[in-house]
Amino acid sequence: MNVSWLVAQRELKERIKTRSFIGMAIAGPILVLLMVYILFSVGENNKPHWKVLIVDPSGIMDNKILANTTGSISYDFANDYIQLKEFEKSNRFQKYDALLELNEKILSNKAAFLFYKEKPSFLFATTIQFHLERRLEEVMVGRFSKMSVQEFRGIKQPISIAFRNLYDPKNESYSLSGWVGFFFGAVILLFILLFGMTILRSVSSEKSNRIVEVLLASVKPRQLMFGKIAGIGIAAIIQFIGWMVLVSFGLYVMRETLFPDMMDISNWNLGEMANQATSGMEDSLFRSKVYNDFVELIYSRIQFGDMLFFFLLFFIGGYIFYGTFFAALGATSGSENDGQQFVLPIMVLLVIALWAGYYTMQNPLSDITYVLSFLPFTSPMVCMVKLAQGYSLGEGYQIYVSFSILALSSYLTLRLAGRLYQNGILQFGHRLRLTQFISWLKHG
Amino acid sequence: MLQLTSITKSYFQKIAVDDVSLSLNEGEIFGLLGPNGAGKTTLIRIINQIIEPEKGEVRFQGELMKRKHLAELGYLPEERGLYKTMTVYDHAMFLGRLRRMSKDEVNKSLNYWLEKFDIASWKNKRIEELSKGMAQKVQFICAVLHEPKLLILDEPFSGFDPVNVELIQNELKAMKKAGKTILLSSHNMKSVEEICDRVALIHQSKKILEGSVVQLREDRKDGRYAVKFKGNMLAFTHALWTGFELLDKEELSKDRFIAYVAMRSENNFQDLLKTLIGQIEIEAAWEVLPSMQQIFIELVTSK
Repeated sequence: MNVSWLVAQRELKERIKTRSFIGMAIAGPILVLLMVYILFSVGENNKPHWKVLIVDPSGIMDNKILANTTGSISYDFANDYIQLKEFEKSNRFQKYDALLELNEKILSNKAAFLFYKEKPSFLFATTIQFHLERRLEEVMVGRFSKMSVQEFRGIKQPISIAFRNLYDPKNESYSLSGWVGFFFGAVILLFILLFGMTILRSVSSEKSNRIVEVLLASVKPRQLMFGKIAGIGIAAIIQFIGWMVLVSFGLYVMRETLFPDMMDISNWNLGEMANQATSGMEDSLFRSKVYNDFVELIYSRIQFGDMLFFFLLFFIGGYIFYGTFFAALGATSGSENDGQQFVLPIMVLLVIALWAGYYTMQNPLSDITYVLSFLPFTSPMVCMVKLAQGYSLGEGYQIYVSFSILALSSYLTLRLAGRLYQNGILQFGHRLRLTQFISWLKHG
Repeated sequence: MLQLTSITKSYFQKIAVDDVSLSLNEGEIFGLLGPNGAGKTTLIRIINQIIEPEKGEVRFQGELMKRKHLAELGYLPEERGLYKTMTVYDHAMFLGRLRRMSKDEVNKSLNYWLEKFDIASWKNKRIEELSKGMAQKVQFICAVLHEPKLLILDEPFSGFDPVNVELIQNELKAMKKAGKTILLSSHNMKSVEEICDRVALIHQSKKILEGSVVQLREDRKDGRYAVKFKGNMLAFTHALWTGFELLDKEELSKDRFIAYVAMRSENNFQDLLKTLIGQIEIEAAWEVLPSMQQIFIELVTSK
């Protein structure tokens, strides 16, 4: 059997038995679910009132939209074309916070634009999207189908709203689905950081307890390093799968219990509804709808097959890219506590990558985003966001280019880290300095 | 069995091993001696293919040493460790599998050694539950688990209590008898004297001495003899007269001594015994050979 695989197996067994691994497998998904719950239960309360002007020159909406039961968003309709400059400057539009533009093709291309003066919160954005969809469902059913609205909702295509800054409409844009990509990207970075630190600790502890010399009599340093990175990486993937299963299950349970779909008559509990104050029930109904829309966003609108496939690719690529640095750092440090100062640059890179993901959500079409999507230390994050937002037609190749650059970079860092690992792993008791680091890097 | 020819290795312009050649014969215990930092561990790492020499070659059973030969080597490094959270069984299985053993082979060999050392009950204990001495036995077992033809031990006795030193020494002798070759690096000169057939001394990266233990001691003898006797020291001194010189004495009790004597003119050991018989009660008499420790210190300090 391949010695690297034996090392990986040992590492995997060691990791999945630890309390921190089990604790993280349980606490992580609970934290995610808790955040979702808080977002939909509490986060909405102190929002300001929003007034949206729906520009619908074709009269598709027939000047109607689902009533906003909480009163936090209200809509007006305009049935003529309004230029953005006019909307921005004219006094009569000053009372509006956003302009929702529906063109005549919305029933076929399912795309709309929302130009905001101040960026809407996640909850507001979801709510507007939800209101628009519900109204369009009625329109679609009325025009093209003999089905009931309920039946139609089962087969309909989702609407995509591009959110853009009124003052910079060409560049600023984000969509809700980008948040799912951001979540995936953030998970990649979180796992890289957590499991990268595990690599660092594991290598330096093997070094400090001197087992490494016994191992090196049977395994080449590079094989040992690769086995270690692979074993811990597999543990990370198992952890991620556990997270996905628990989060998916948790979202489903929350949908069935905390946020039942009130549009579905089978979920109506008339007795309970009668007992509730009218406002409370309305509020509850609103939040449930928003949550259900969010769940629908997660379950139906994201191409999960693609997301998971590319998640795995970018996770593996990003993990190897960063993980090799952690391994090299562990191997070159003189003691378990040495080398901490070198962790900081890696952390800074990870923070930059996180920022890059957020920037991509805001500016998916900017040149900076384009560049960030190819840089190996930001591409795992940026590409996840871009993938969730959807690559434009003819630009799909970019994700393959990004991954190829990441894979090539990972291979190079693996080789460089292997050199550091080989030169540093049997050096003990020193204090790691940059000059020494560079010197070991030079000696192949 | 193992030939090292003109091995040279330096670390960032500091020479660790300088043109060292050695040859180990099959079925012998070879001692690699030298002060700290002399280059012994570097040499051992080169044999184990952990590091590569800049110059020179290592041959194992006539073939240029390659990684495939590592399965025939056992190695117990000076700085040895164990995975504290693993059980003895898991540890042995992991290291055995790395040495290309099958699971069955590991099981069989591990059971044999655990029973031999009378520690079968430790099999499922975690390493962190073992005492230092216990852990050292496990380390030794892991080094010999795959029945290597060449066993390399770097300071195998350090940290062992005398009982365990004896135990390991006996095992090494038994392995030698079974035709295994053992390369032993140690500062424990008493053990070296007791079990090594030949030794080499490395000092300041160079080999400064090589030979059989017996021959090296013979070559450095200085004509001193020791006599252990019961009687009067004055009577002993008078008996020596002018033919012998009293160099030193140890008082074992009121009337028991060990006297160290050198010959004068043509006198020999037989003459000494003849002179003393009847004057004192001789309990033992022998030719004093320098210990390996003395030779070691003399060579290292004189360079």
